Amino acid sequence: MVSAQNWNEVSEGQVFTLTEPMDSQRLVIWAAASGDFYQIHYDDDFAKGNNLPDIIVHGALKGMLVGRLLDEICGDSGRITNFGVSYRGMDPARQDLTVHATVIKKYEENGEHLLDLEVGVKQEDGSTETTPGTATIAVPA
Amino acid sequence: MTDELELTQDMKDAIDREGDPVFYEVTTLGIRTFARAVGYTNTKYYDEDAAQAAGHSTLPSPPGYLGMPVWNPNKEPSRQPTFNNPFTKNLNGGTQVQPIQQVYAGDVLSAVSRITNLTMSPSKSLGKMLIRETETVYTRQSDGVVVAKTQGQGISY
Repeated sequence: MVSAQNWNEVSEGQVFTLTEPMDSQRLVIWAAASGDFYQIHYDDDFAKGNNLPDIIVHGALKGMLVGRLLDEICGDSGRITNFGVSYRGMDPARQDLTVHATVIKKYEENGEHLLDLEVGVKQEDGSTETTPGTATIAVPA
Repeated sequence: MTDELELTQDMKDAIDREGDPVFYEVTTLGIRTFARAVGYTNTKYYDEDAAQAAGHSTLPSPPGYLGMPVWNPNKEPSRQPTFNNPFTKNLNGGTQVQPIQQVYAGDVLSAVSRITNLTMSPSKSLGKMLIRETETVYTRQSDGVVVAKTQGQGISY
């Protein structure tokens, strides 16, 4: 878990990460939470029958993992202004995924202390970025 | 499969047209299941006392969770305006979320979507594809307040 941040102590270039195992149980819980029951996410035979190497992680789950990282940075006193990701590639399950957020701009606007961030999700090899995006959050100062 | 890269009139007519509202229920069970799936450890998403200690009246919804559509076995929920789509396979291209007001367990939201743009485009890996940009506005039914907007990109090929 990432600890809640104070705007005064955050610097541009600072990186936050969280790493989560993406096992089949996780994907089944997400299917129940989201209502996305497409079998490529939990049925090995179905996934392989669709020319996939393994069951794959739901795109929306990756997007919401980014939301969780931002929520943890904000803490109970901050707020997410917006966040978004593009699904550029598939992530086979049964590996750890690392969600990351890098502060690219720190500024004040309309009385709020804001951070613009580049966000994304990387595979276990550390180099494959499948879910790039951006976010803006307000954190207490 | 279409051989044309031009949008049909049917597709053009679907742009900017709003779909029917779909109603989403935000429940304590839904919030807890979502929070567990995403791996939240902040107990305000699971426990009423912890939520109240954090200043909430009940369980708050984690970022991006806007409930589940009410299931009707005789009617598949469909938020988007329809048009004759010649493609049969679909990919989720991306999602943007703009939280506006905190959503809570017990809220019922109406979701109204409109297609903001359609583009027919060639792709090296997928062949011809139809890119659909949508915006959905979520309104809390108890007070009529817009609580979130989302934008999505869908790819049909």
